[in-house]
Amino acid sequence: MSTHKRTAVLIDDNESSHKFFLRSVENLSIDLKAYRSADTAMKFLNDNKPSLLFLNIILPDKNGLAFLSELRKLPLHAKTPVIILTSNDYSQDRTVASELGVLDFIVKPMSMRTINSIMLDYIK
Amino acid sequence: MAKSYIRFWGVRGSYSAPFKRCLDTGGNTPCVEINVDGHLLICDAGSGIIPLGHQLIAEDKNRELLILLTHFHWDHISGLPFFAPAFHPKYNINFFGPGESKEIVKKYIDDQMKAPYFPVGTEEWVANISYIDTKKKSITYGPMEISYYSAYHPGITYGYKINVKNKCIVYIPDNECLSLDKEIRENSEGFNNEEIDILEEMNREEYKAEVNTIADADILIHDAQYTPEDYKMKKGWGHSCYTDVINMAIDAKVKKLFLFSHDPSNDDEMILKIHEGAKKIIKDRNSSLECFVSKESLEVSLD
Repeated sequence: MSTHKRTAVLIDDNESSHKFFLRSVENLSIDLKAYRSADTAMKFLNDNKPSLLFLNIILPDKNGLAFLSELRKLPLHAKTPVIILTSNDYSQDRTVASELGVLDFIVKPMSMRTINSIMLDYIK
Repeated sequence: MAKSYIRFWGVRGSYSAPFKRCLDTGGNTPCVEINVDGHLLICDAGSGIIPLGHQLIAEDKNRELLILLTHFHWDHISGLPFFAPAFHPKYNINFFGPGESKEIVKKYIDDQMKAPYFPVGTEEWVANISYIDTKKKSITYGPMEISYYSAYHPGITYGYKINVKNKCIVYIPDNECLSLDKEIRENSEGFNNEEIDILEEMNREEYKAEVNTIADADILIHDAQYTPEDYKMKKGWGHSCYTDVINMAIDAKVKKLFLFSHDPSNDDEMILKIHEGAKKIIKDRNSSLECFVSKESLEVSLD
């Protein structure tokens, strides 16, 4: 059995959101890397493909959907599994997210159990 | 030296309201002129840009202009097909808006002027049209320093911050503020104490971030489309309840707030009631915030 930890990335400027995610996955063998801006996350994503990427729509430096559109143009991330996080369940955002091939669209607030289940579902 | 001012040309959100009972406030969709020492900045190109265009032609003072688009919903671009300066060779018109590239911005603008939706395409524009690189984090335009940030509205929507003459002007016509707060209040049932504690912390942090975007603005032009009663039915439509905007502006120590993006179904009398409600909140909170209703033709001096 492999002991290699899978990596998940969270991009959300809200520090409490990082805390929430870290608590949600602490019983799982997952290396969660949390970033507060699109630019800082991009430095990691330029050379690394996570098993799962959680992406908030409103970020301080860039709209999350615009960021994802740019990310998809990189061959490394053409099919990176992405889940959108938002506090607004806008139909237009769901459509754009769907066109960008996201796995799921999660509206805040979500429970720790929900995040834990998503990790288990998508990170096999 | 030319005078410097903000002038409202279109103040309605969503769609125009050309009805007699609405015309004291005005019926056109968003367009705000910021004119500083002869440098002309136009925020959004709703139907309000049409009369502005006619005035520009008549006065023949400004031939260089920058149009900032917050997003590409119809009410923010529908005046462009009738914007007279675009059809005149002596004008230089620069566009900036949300999009991956300037080519995408051009495409979005072009797309509304195509058959069968419109008989004339942008290829008929004879003005010198330029599209500013969308990757720029800020723009310098004459004496104005312009930056932008993401608003809470469907699609990619910007709010703009314009620093000029030692004043900070924030223009954010479409923005649903405090949405996380509302989601947490309505959807936290069944969460354990630890989750609730972190969610409350998350909410405080989010609110602080929202307040920071407008903090210390001298002039804030903000979406205030709904009453609390409207908002119950229209939550998630991408617009704010005016009571939330007033409270946020007070917390952000904004000096002057202009209620904007009026609901087209609200007549002048209703908008007056909203203004009275806003003033009551300000009085109850013992705040020095000055609150105004954005009205067509209203001019605010920047000198």
